[in-house]
Amino acid sequence: MIQLKYVLVILLLLLTAQEKGKPVKWALTKSCSLKVNGSTNINKFSCVIPEYTEPDTLVLYTHKGGEEVKISGQMILSIKSFDCHNGVMTKDLRKTLKAEQFPKLTVTFISLSKYPNPARDESVISGIVNISIAGVNKRFDVAYRCTPDGLKGITLVGTKTVNFSDFNIIPPRKLGGMIKTNNMLDVEFTLKAGILN
Amino acid sequence: MKKIIASGFIAGTILFIVCYGGLFLAVRFFPALFFEYNNPLFNSDGSRDVLFYMHSFIISFALSWFWARFKSLFHGHFLLRGLEFGLVYALVALLPVMWISFSSLDITLLTVVSWFCYGLMQAIIAGIVFAKLNPM
Repeated sequence: MIQLKYVLVILLLLLTAQEKGKPVKWALTKSCSLKVNGSTNINKFSCVIPEYTEPDTLVLYTHKGGEEVKISGQMILSIKSFDCHNGVMTKDLRKTLKAEQFPKLTVTFISLSKYPNPARDESVISGIVNISIAGVNKRFDVAYRCTPDGLKGITLVGTKTVNFSDFNIIPPRKLGGMIKTNNMLDVEFTLKAGILN
Repeated sequence: MKKIIASGFIAGTILFIVCYGGLFLAVRFFPALFFEYNNPLFNSDGSRDVLFYMHSFIISFALSWFWARFKSLFHGHFLLRGLEFGLVYALVALLPVMWISFSSLDITLLTVVSWFCYGLMQAIIAGIVFAKLNPM
């Protein structure tokens, strides 16, 4: 009876192992970037972190019989790298995002709806990410536009509209509220990765 | 004293309507003039909004006292007395403050000039009100 139990456990382990495909590694390159578009009642601003100075690796776990891809890995960006193409706006955004207290913005990749096919021209997929700003973590569904860069590279452009209030940040208001920053921010992050295996 | 407070309060109310109304319209119709205020130099969390809106009363009571002390120096029609009063205030108080602000803060000349004109306009309006309500 005990032997049968062992056999069942081993069979179960084998079956589970078979369901998981081989992990695929994506090496994030320096060309990764993050863009934030927002507006006030008097102007629009577009701020960008133009390059990723801490290249990292994402590990994607595909599952046989299912399209969803689990991911482990993250992009860690420095808030002080934000450039709004205007010194005043840059300083204000850094202050708003509490750069002194929380110098890093982190995008943790959780999953993709399916593994992007490098053979196809362009595809649209969805995914889940955790974004951490000013010490607050928030999970978001993100739409990605995938473009293959040959067979060994891929570009994913993820877009999501978030709110300052999602991260417990009060949008800046000046002159007694006569100049107000809108709560909504359009975030666009570009992942350029080399496929390692 | 009663006249100082009464004319100060009336001038403060008029300044509140004219100045904040004017500011609201200026932000709406000339937004480019206000880009500079996105500077982190300016308070942005709303914690001082009440103080900001109290400014018209702070300046009107201060000017009302100043008028009561020196009104005998201003002569002629009440409009002229108000205008001269505003110019004196701008020369004595505003100009040096604007000078030190521009020299020490990270702000543009346009911003400082706009503050000077705003303060001058406030003092002229207050001066006209005082010259009418508290002439002697």
